Amino acid sequence: MSGNNLVLPIVLWGRTAPTHCISSLLVLDDCSAVITGCHDGQICLWDMTPDLQMCPRAMLFGHTSSITCLAKASACADKQYIVSASENGEMCLWDVNDGRCIEFTKLACAHTDIQFYQFTIGTQKEGRLLCNGHYPEILVLDATSLEVLYSLVSKISPDWISAMSIIRSHRTQEDTVVAVSVTGILKVWIITAEVSRMQDLDPVFEEESKPIHCQSCQSVSFCNFTQNSLLVVCSKYWRVLDAADYSLLCSVPSEADQSWTGGDFISADKVIIWTEDGCSYIYKLPPSCLSASEHFRSDVGKTKEGAVPPLIYKIAEQPDKQLLICPPVTRFFFSRREPFHKLLIQGDSGGRLSMWSVPDRSPAPQTSTPELPISSSLSLQESFDRLLPVSSGIIDQLSVLPGKEQPIKVTASVYIPAQGRLVCGREDGSIILVPATQTAIVQLLQGEHMLRRGWPPHRTLRGHRNKVTCVLYPYQVSPRYDQRALVSGGVDFSVIVWDIFTGEMKHIFCVHGGEITQLLVPPENCSTRVQHCVCSVASDHSVGLLSLKERKCIMLASRHLFPIQVIKWRPADDYLVVGCSDGSVYVWQMDTGALDRCVMGLTAVEILSACDELAPATVDALSHSAVNLKQAMTRRSLAALKNMAQHKLQTLATNLLAADNADKGNLPKYSHNALVVSAMKTNLSDPDMHVLFFDVEAVIIQLLTEEAQRPNPTLVSPESLHKSQAGADKGGSFLANKIFKQVKETMKETIKEHLLDDDEEEEEEQRRREEKSKSLSLLEYNLTMDTAKLFMSCLHAWGLNQQLDIICLERLGMLRPHCPISFGLISRGGHMSLMLPTFKESLLRKLSVATGRKLTLSDIVGKGTYGLSRAVTTQHLLSVISLANTLMGMTNATFVGEHMKKAPARPPRPGGTPESLRRSSSGSQSSPPPQAHIKQGWSQLAAMHCVMLPDLLGLDKYRPPLLEMLARRWQDRCLEVREAAQALLLAELRRVGVSGRKDTIDMWAPYLPQYVDTVSSRKYCPPVDRRVTGQREDEGGREERGRRGEREDEGGREERGERRERGRGRTRGERGEERERTRGGREEKRGEERRERREERGRERRERTRGEREEREERERGRGERKDERERERTEREGEREERGERRGEGEREDERRERGREEREGREERERTRGEEGGEERGGEERERREERGREREERREGEERGRERRERTRGESGGQSLD
Amino acid sequence: MLNPQRSLSELPKMSSASQVERAVLREVHAVLKQLQDVLKEASRRFTLPSSGLDSQLKQENFILGSSTMDQVKGVLTLQGEALTQADINLKMAKSSQLLHFQFRDDKHWKLQQIQDARNHVTQALHLLSCRDETYHFKTGAEVNKLMDAVMLQLTRARNRLTTPASLTLPELATSGLMKMFSPPMPGDVMVNFYINLSKLCLTVYQLHVLPPNTTKNFKPAGSSVVHNPGAMFELNNNRFEVSHVHKVECVVPWLSDTLVFFTISLQLCQQLKDKISVFSSFWNSRSF
Repeated sequence: MSGNNLVLPIVLWGRTAPTHCISSLLVLDDCSAVITGCHDGQICLWDMTPDLQMCPRAMLFGHTSSITCLAKASACADKQYIVSASENGEMCLWDVNDGRCIEFTKLACAHTDIQFYQFTIGTQKEGRLLCNGHYPEILVLDATSLEVLYSLVSKISPDWISAMSIIRSHRTQEDTVVAVSVTGILKVWIITAEVSRMQDLDPVFEEESKPIHCQSCQSVSFCNFTQNSLLVVCSKYWRVLDAADYSLLCSVPSEADQSWTGGDFISADKVIIWTEDGCSYIYKLPPSCLSASEHFRSDVGKTKEGAVPPLIYKIAEQPDKQLLICPPVTRFFFSRREPFHKLLIQGDSGGRLSMWSVPDRSPAPQTSTPELPISSSLSLQESFDRLLPVSSGIIDQLSVLPGKEQPIKVTASVYIPAQGRLVCGREDGSIILVPATQTAIVQLLQGEHMLRRGWPPHRTLRGHRNKVTCVLYPYQVSPRYDQRALVSGGVDFSVIVWDIFTGEMKHIFCVHGGEITQLLVPPENCSTRVQHCVCSVASDHSVGLLSLKERKCIMLASRHLFPIQVIKWRPADDYLVVGCSDGSVYVWQMDTGALDRCVMGLTAVEILSACDELAPATVDALSHSAVNLKQAMTRRSLAALKNMAQHKLQTLATNLLAADNADKGNLPKYSHNALVVSAMKTNLSDPDMHVLFFDVEAVIIQLLTEEAQRPNPTLVSPESLHKSQAGADKGGSFLANKIFKQVKETMKETIKEHLLDDDEEEEEEQRRREEKSKSLSLLEYNLTMDTAKLFMSCLHAWGLNQQLDIICLERLGMLRPHCPISFGLISRGGHMSLMLPTFKESLLRKLSVATGRKLTLSDIVGKGTYGLSRAVTTQHLLSVISLANTLMGMTNATFVGEHMKKAPARPPRPGGTPESLRRSSSGSQSSPPPQAHIKQGWSQLAAMHCVMLPDLLGLDKYRPPLLEMLARRWQDRCLEVREAAQALLLAELRRVGVSGRKDTIDMWAPYLPQYVDTVSSRKYCPPVDRRVTGQREDEGGREERGRRGEREDEGGREERGERRERGRGRTRGERGEERERTRGGREEKRGEERRERREERGRERRERTRGEREEREERERGRGERKDERERERTEREGEREERGERRGEGEREDERRERGREEREGREERERTRGEEGGEERGGEERERREERGREREERREGEERGRERRERTRGESGGQSLD
Repeated sequence: MLNPQRSLSELPKMSSASQVERAVLREVHAVLKQLQDVLKEASRRFTLPSSGLDSQLKQENFILGSSTMDQVKGVLTLQGEALTQADINLKMAKSSQLLHFQFRDDKHWKLQQIQDARNHVTQALHLLSCRDETYHFKTGAEVNKLMDAVMLQLTRARNRLTTPASLTLPELATSGLMKMFSPPMPGDVMVNFYINLSKLCLTVYQLHVLPPNTTKNFKPAGSSVVHNPGAMFELNNNRFEVSHVHKVECVVPWLSDTLVFFTISLQLCQQLKDKISVFSSFWNSRSF
């Protein structure tokens, strides 16, 4: 699960808004947001103010094909969930507030419509989703688990359901579902409470089936005002039916060339109908359709076609609208809550939302039908254009041509983590190589670099005559390729091989007859000849194998009739398998270039799936992830990210072990995954936008690794030095020497590279080629601190504490962002929500309303993100605190330029020009910030984010972190993250106060498994200590109350048997999730209890004089605890325990010592008990005191000196453990 | 029909890109018309059952058998998308006992594959009918989008016929199909009907019950279109193993027609798309 890693995305959208061809839309009940789904699979969240001003807030990624429908998925106001379904059967449950994916599933069938329905079973409310689509039933899904519960089936001529509507009757308890099938048969199902409780997949048959002869029905809607009529809209006419017996009340044909696509009742006597081309009409219903009228049902049986009822309003197409490429989507919504808007809303292919507020009263009679004025209209691009400062793209500063307003668009990119370089192919045919962190710093942060034009140093490769469509760095995928080779493809049909270090064009392949669309790498076990090839795919439906070694095309598989969708390999048989978009599969022999087979249907599917079975998963992920760009967009980044994270941890573990043998040379090789820059596009025609994924864990590991490598004898105590690495000293000095030389070289190189951008001298090139491996490793060193700098600067809540800001800027070398940064949130299954650059507008608006004063953009820089959503706050706080703590433990961990030179293997900092570099270095050399000051700075930073944020920001601008997310990280594998999570959790629990904690317990108690309830409540119910203060008694009482509540709940759960029934019926995945949730809750609760216990113990110790009774009590309690902790202990490792025992305060030491190994502890326990029985309580106390004293001494001695080593060890232990996992 | 020769020769004469595009767009309707004709022909094969005319639906008999083996012989009556009658003769392998099953009179078995294919074609036709000659295409992207939508439906329609649903054996055993026969099907025989490409297929599985304490490794089979002998499954606490599989099939002529129509129309769509993309990339390339 990607949720395990703490990965934070930052997006650089660029100036062009992503293509958003709206395919479905939804307005929330309270009209606070509009949600749109598009043909490319993204979902956009638009915030809406009560006066109907819209502002796009975030984009949700996860679906891999067109969104077919959106529906709300919860009824309560505080939980805004929506469900989305896509063409290929994916379904996703999202939280609108923060864009988290709550649940997802994939069904074999595609839904075309989903309706939310809430059952009330006793006091319990159960959400259901009724789905219809390309199948003959109506599927009923659970709205929280997305699991199919049962289906509504037709007995008589079953067929696809085109439209349906749920009729809630106030008169009877039964609700009915009315649906119209594609053959025009109206079906009625009754859903009662019994039906909703059904567990097995027994079908429910229809109650009534009546042919109403409605061909190509578009929508069915029920009149909520009178509860007497139904509106059925077909493409050529619309009809009103009596809701009681479904007899026809009136039928209205469409105008000549229009086709209706939907409609709804807007009041008891008015309907609104819209057409495919985006026009809408409001009609007044004839009296025969109005139940209030005396003429109601007067026409039944004698319908007159063609009698058009009076038209009240007309809503025509906007004359100035841009050209649309497909019909717009229109919906009518009326909110049942404040503000009571009646809204007609339309989304079109240009990503534009238009809204009309439909008035209740009719206009004065006029000769011509009046037009309804538009209330508001906004397209995604418009909202991007309005932004000031404009939304930045990753290399905008290098792409703005003089005299042109728009920067040259980046059309293809690849990030080379080993070098920290980003390769960007652009629409003018040039390719830019640029250090990724540097260019991101320019785009996101303020600083000296702003004065420099053309910063950072970059290299331009020119060769393509037009747009570059794909870039590939084969060495990244497999080390069998030349490290220097970079391959690019363009719309000029050519594939160019470059030398990445010299910028030389090595070869041009011109073998395709169409634009190059993809470049891939064949898997490892191909024949040697193929191994040195890259595979190119072109829009003329041809596939080529281009040998980089032989510099020729060794095979060209062309004449596929349809676009190539997937390429798979069967290396053992020397087969290249090409899957086309129509489902046909071509099998080519790579050696001879002969077409072996061309198959369709079942065989084709089997061949493709057989390739998957044969290929190792990793190879598949790497080589095929980019095949279907649309799909790869999410998969490429996330699968690759996950892969890399796992790979990294394993290699790091082995490497850290190897590091003991002074084998440091190969360490930096793995220190590059802290930052992954991933290019994404929502549509093939879009320019690239770039997402920077920061892996907090990896950043920490890299920082610690670097710290561990720091040869600084003054700071390492002789003892620990002796312990850690005997050869470190020698190796270190050698390293330092080498590094120093390298620094000088790179300095020169960087300057040269910058100055002589395109025309290098021959000898320089020669030299560089020699230096290449060295310069590579240099960049990596640079990367860690730069990444941390970029990351910390983005996360810090600027503007809350003036003093701290100054410290951050001057002492710690952080930089202030230009404007609020668009972050993202990764949730389950690689689903992701990315904030659009316009989010700040809506945030500003929201905060301005909340605080009652006008805020400007600079007011919310940095701190604004903490007011976005609870999940975002949690992630950010965890990251910022754990990183600050890591940096605090490092020597001279400051991002100020000077430091960069002193650190091992640091190339010059981007001071800007060589002059400024020299100046800054000389300037700061005189007064380097002392180590203590830096430490203090980091600790202040951590403290502010940990505890002071809620007070400083005020609750209206602060969304507190989510307890369950913190609790889940209580035992995080990364110690820094774990500590941050624990500190934050405790701080948050303190902040919410007694009532908040009670609420939390109440909320989670039902999820506690029973065995814990009984064990914990019986075994460690501590005798309430009467001696201590009233407040304590209060706490104890509360604790007991909480426990009683749980026990009651246990009983209650027996009664609510069906709840558990449902749980049992769930899929395994869901159950896993629930278990996880439960565990989170349990841990959280335990954490709280532990804290209380710890406090209590501290208090007791302060009193020192301990009577016999208390002593025994405590021991008893301790025993209870021990039993309780035993299961948790199993997961903990020895090294960490020792560690923590040393680092924590005394109160915890006691706790930790118990954990030191069960045998030992039990032995001691035994001893103590015997001693106690002998009346040796005194001695026991003394013993403990002495032990504590000793511990304190040891701790003091070690604390300052050993930190680095400890951390190193910890990381090692941890990753060692990780590799076992 | 598009005439690439002509359009290409006209290229140099055209001054602006929009003119090129307009020339291409002018030919779009011709292709759409042709496409619509092909699809109408395909749709006619499905004999849309408009209500009231049900009785007029043609009944076709298909004799399913194979020349090599004569264990299974079936006569199926297909009416539109439903199997209205079925006669299955089964010669048991061991006892060479002859079994005969028939559909119960009140039961029809709907072939969902045919219905789905029909509905997809109808939807494709609906999309095309909204863009008749009177409609004026303004951009190539618009045509592309329409083609994408039409092709999606057509690919779905074809895939429904070419890739039958794969079921697990318990799913098959519990499906309504087993209850359709008179005399009732014995517990150790299962049948399945499906369409594969243009063929109507009948698969008969003979099962034998695995003794509860068998030493044989029990491994339930996954879902598949046709299960092989030796596939095992568990149902109502009984374990079964497939001992014999008989597969017989018969070509349905009108289904092979429709498949050809689908292929033709898909190719027409793709050619139109390709042509437009060539021109649009030509047009775009001018900007630099």
